[in-house]
Amino acid sequence: MTENWDKIGIPAGLESPRQNGISATAVSRSFGQVHAVEHMDFHAPAGKVTALIGPNGAGKTTLLLMLASLLAPDSGTVTVDGLDPQHHRAEVRKRIGWMPDTLGVWESLTAREILTQIARFYQLPKAGIPQRVTGMLDRVRLSDLADQPARVLSRGQQQRLSLARALIHDPSVLLLDEPASGLDPGSRVELRVMLRQLAAEGKSIVVSSHVLSELDEIADAAVFVNQGKTVRHQTTDEAAASGRRYAISATDGAALAAKLTEIGLAFRVEDGRRPAVSLVLLNDDDAARLLRDLVLAGVGVSSFAPASGALEETYMNLEGERR
Amino acid sequence: MSQLTDTTRRPAASGFGAGYVAGIRDVVVLELKQRLRSRGWYIMLAIWFILTGLVTWLTWASWNAQREAQQAYSNFMPPDTGPGSMIFEVVLAFVLLFALLVAPALSANAVNGDRAGGTLAILQVTLLRPGQILWGKFFAAWAAALAFLVASTPFLVIGVALGGMTPGHVIVALLMLAVEVGVVCAIGVGISALAGRPLFSIVVTYLAVAGLVFGSLIAFGLGTGLSQGTIMANQAQYRNYEPLQPVPDETAPQEPEYTCSGPLRAQPAVRTERVAWMLAMNPYVVVADAIPYTVRVNSGLGMSSPVGAIESISQGARYAMAGPEGTYPCANGEAKPQYLAQSTPLWPLGLGLQLLLAGLLMWLGWRSLRTPAHRLARGTRIA
Repeated sequence: MTENWDKIGIPAGLESPRQNGISATAVSRSFGQVHAVEHMDFHAPAGKVTALIGPNGAGKTTLLLMLASLLAPDSGTVTVDGLDPQHHRAEVRKRIGWMPDTLGVWESLTAREILTQIARFYQLPKAGIPQRVTGMLDRVRLSDLADQPARVLSRGQQQRLSLARALIHDPSVLLLDEPASGLDPGSRVELRVMLRQLAAEGKSIVVSSHVLSELDEIADAAVFVNQGKTVRHQTTDEAAASGRRYAISATDGAALAAKLTEIGLAFRVEDGRRPAVSLVLLNDDDAARLLRDLVLAGVGVSSFAPASGALEETYMNLEGERR
Repeated sequence: MSQLTDTTRRPAASGFGAGYVAGIRDVVVLELKQRLRSRGWYIMLAIWFILTGLVTWLTWASWNAQREAQQAYSNFMPPDTGPGSMIFEVVLAFVLLFALLVAPALSANAVNGDRAGGTLAILQVTLLRPGQILWGKFFAAWAAALAFLVASTPFLVIGVALGGMTPGHVIVALLMLAVEVGVVCAIGVGISALAGRPLFSIVVTYLAVAGLVFGSLIAFGLGTGLSQGTIMANQAQYRNYEPLQPVPDETAPQEPEYTCSGPLRAQPAVRTERVAWMLAMNPYVVVADAIPYTVRVNSGLGMSSPVGAIESISQGARYAMAGPEGTYPCANGEAKPQYLAQSTPLWPLGLGLQLLLAGLLMWLGWRSLRTPAHRLARGTRIA
């Protein structure tokens, strides 16, 4: 594709938008008998956060390893800003920041030393490395611990160090494998803000996670994978538009049930700790209208809230389809 | 040392230049920073220093005791060469033994230890090339092992200072020890890149070292049994024993004590030269053979024999290498020198074979570090 563009002389800035960001086309990878990834398609455009969602063993990490140019696909192609990692190794590596799910830290080195070493491995200009490292440490709030050996850092702090490491060379593609696991709620909010900032800077960000409610807030789009295949590609707006389950509880459960039956809505009685019913509403307007109707009808509504995130809804539906 | 660096630069020379070397240096810095901060390394170094000192002192003490005993019970006075040669040999053998034991521990978890810790993939995803990672790990392991040699240098110097050795001996010995340690480190790093688990690779590296030290002897011994052959030789006529014949010229090549006569006949002989290459791979043979010793002449006391362990090992190995053609009395009707001159060294062959083995393992290790990876060993996870 790139070659064709070059032949007809289109300047680099006018390349097709598909070439920005990172994409995988029909990639497959098997380990012995196990087909970890089969004909998976994936695209994460620049300036967006793309979530990679799937159950354990769905092939998320294998896909991320192939995107990070560590693992070669058996078939299919991976392109980073239109470049193939097999042939433009250094160019691709400069553009990729990868944060693995295993926190590899050199325990006896300090956070500052780790970032300095990594900066050198990326061949950043030597004169600029100290400032760059200090800047990254500030950005992930590790300045106070910068000169402590990494082994004294908590898991969350190591996670932030790992993020700083992935960002040290200012990559245009950021691959994050389970970045939120082990983070306290405060750090999660921070991570969310930071990822949105990075996306706003024009980076394409890929996040794999199980914490789906988090992804609702971060991700612009989600790719659902299962059993090594891409199951669905969906933007968060699409996910929200396809309906969302709401949980409603009332002081008088019977009255609530009666009113819902009267309106003609299908609902399900949840057997949670508190008596509640749940039902799928298509959009926010529906929800507002239903709540108003219930209140006007004199039903003592004590809670009325989305039962799950929009992506979670899709995920659970996929889980259901699988069974 | 020169032999090793020549081979180590081979991949580097293929068009990367200064940037490639700078990457290796950065990896070495990363590795050494970690090693210098681990207490275990210092403890091992201290134990090493104390042990080597102890061995040196014991050797010296036992030599002194022996000499006193000889003086007390007989009038025979051995030539006063001092204990230098003996201390030097004992310390050298000991240092080589422990270097061979320490080097695998320092090198054989270099790559898969990082793999287990999740830090290898972090290096691989940067602009570093697999060769840079591997060479960096090798040089760091080698440097860490060389520190042990540096710690034992004082005792080798003592060995020289106490008796008839030259500084040249120490330099050659240290150089060869450094090369041998480098070979073991390269084997260890190569295996660590190939094996999944650190424990496994350390054990395999120890087995490889044992293979070089003992396996080479066993293989040579068994191999000679399979190398029966014949040699054309005639009858040797030994001269009469002539006691205390003065030696006219010390530097003249030694005359054999027999003459050959009669028809050539096929005689059974062991063709040791066919299997001597296995013996040559022994680190002790390589080190002993590389250390220079003065060619001895007939001292007037009849048979000349090698003095000291280093010389004995070297002569024994060269004897095997020469085979019956060079050592059998009257092979092809020619008298053979009892003592093989230094002009036919064996160690380049042995070292060459060792470097070949180490190079092969490093190359296989390099293949397994290439990314994007095509093949992974069973059960290994790249990250």
